[in-house]
Amino acid sequence: MVAPAVLLVAGVYTYPAVSTLVYSVTSIDLSPRFRVENFVGLRNFVNQLTDDVFWEAAGVTLYFGVMLCLATVILSFSIALLLNKTFLGRGLVRVTVLLPWAVPPVASGVLWVQMFHAEFGFLNGFLRALGADGDVIWLGGQVIALHSVLVAEVWRWIPFATIFILAGLQLVPKTVREAAAIDGAGSWRSFRHITLPLMLPVIVPVVIFLFVWAMKVFDTIFVLTRGGPSRATTTLNFLVYRQGFEQFDFGSASATAYLLSVLTVLVIAGLGWMLLRSRRLAGGR
Amino acid sequence: MAARSGRRLRKAVTYATAVLVLVVMAFPLYGILLTSVQTERDIRSRDVAFAPSYVTAEHYRQIFSGDSGVPVTESMVNSLVVAAASAVLTVAIAVPAAYALNRMRVPGRRIILGGFAAVYVLPTLLFVLPLFITVVQLGLYDTYIGLVLPYVAFTLPFMVWIMGSFVRSIPVAVEEMAQIDGASLPQIIFRIVLPLLRPGIFAGLLLGFVLAWVEFLTPLLFTSDLSILTVTLGLFRSTMDIAIGQLAAATVLTALPVILITTFFQRNITELITAGVER
Repeated sequence: MVAPAVLLVAGVYTYPAVSTLVYSVTSIDLSPRFRVENFVGLRNFVNQLTDDVFWEAAGVTLYFGVMLCLATVILSFSIALLLNKTFLGRGLVRVTVLLPWAVPPVASGVLWVQMFHAEFGFLNGFLRALGADGDVIWLGGQVIALHSVLVAEVWRWIPFATIFILAGLQLVPKTVREAAAIDGAGSWRSFRHITLPLMLPVIVPVVIFLFVWAMKVFDTIFVLTRGGPSRATTTLNFLVYRQGFEQFDFGSASATAYLLSVLTVLVIAGLGWMLLRSRRLAGGR
Repeated sequence: MAARSGRRLRKAVTYATAVLVLVVMAFPLYGILLTSVQTERDIRSRDVAFAPSYVTAEHYRQIFSGDSGVPVTESMVNSLVVAAASAVLTVAIAVPAAYALNRMRVPGRRIILGGFAAVYVLPTLLFVLPLFITVVQLGLYDTYIGLVLPYVAFTLPFMVWIMGSFVRSIPVAVEEMAQIDGASLPQIIFRIVLPLLRPGIFAGLLLGFVLAWVEFLTPLLFTSDLSILTVTLGLFRSTMDIAIGQLAAATVLTALPVILITTFFQRNITELITAGVER
């Protein structure tokens, strides 16, 4: 009964994963029908590892991944703390926070194009309404474009992270915090020394999920900036697309895809080790 | 006295934060909705309006009358067909797999489940590069099948995992009792397990539909003909267009089914995640 699923997954994952590995060490003749030609050894990998474009993309990718995790976790944690209180209209806030999750990635790209538009976008309109200089070219400059894409992505991932962290917060027994309050701990100290350590086993998986997604971001970049201006928003994943489907250099694209996989797995392994440690710490208490 | 004003201050902070969160999270969606009901001239004005002084359905009318540069209605039909087919196929393959992996002695069970999780970590493009070549060589470029097959494969590992959580929620005792009563395996599966799985199958169908509906990379790379345009690709094509109002209207129409489904199942989604956290 598992056979159909295993066969299909093997067909669409294992076979391509092996093919990509083959491409990465061969030269491919694109015309007429994509024929694998000669074994070229590690040339494609060496080419990538000695290319500034690759390292630039690697830098953008890591920065993007770290910033996405940081910003999303901090904002989601704050929202989760808010939703963990009782107040009028909590249900409304909860549903609204979930909404971006339901927006198809491409549609979310379009929303943010409309927000970021230099001339008649909402952000600049808002700045003008405040009397500020509302002519920021959000997607134009190298640094600002990357951060604009980041804002759009963080907005999309807040729902998932908030629900996940909120679920964790609700597992922290109220009695623990009440006991701390009786012992004279203020709300900051109670948060810093009780809630945060107890939440670590929940936060680390969130960070793992977010980082994996950050490594795979494609739609938002494609709609908002196409990897530009210049290469400012070209992450490794986007570089694979450019090499494969703009330059039709499948050898380089395959090598880059594998290098990105190695990077992802290394970071995940590091985070997984942290998770095990945090579990042990929480368990040993 | 001090305690009371402190409490009042804390309450004010709570409500201020709540309003801020509400505005920031909802605004981009509100913005596109607003854009879709304004005339093209007002959309392109430097005096950005934040509240509508009028509402026009002009852009929606144009979309459905085929006045737009991108065939939005046709793309909706295409996406509907492809997403429905993908959902049914994915669930049909995932349910038996999930049942076998969770209830039977399958050799290499752990490796299979681990492999299903591992592929999720790797970049999709890693798999898309050779798939692209295969699809072209098999003559599946620009066909429904060329879209459905990758959709099914890409959602399958996740679907097996979700279906597994539904299978595990059925008490084993029910099946054991049927076995003692002399029921055969097919009888157990068709008479007992499948009916009990009905809510899970329904959720899986919706999930499969939504995931296929929003997919962008596959149609971008595996299709080019306008006759097989999907909604997401149509949206992207429209960004090249000059009619912003129509683009906004098309965006609202593309996002709407997904938003409705998600809002409707908000509680279930939350429960699923909560269950994951508790484990």
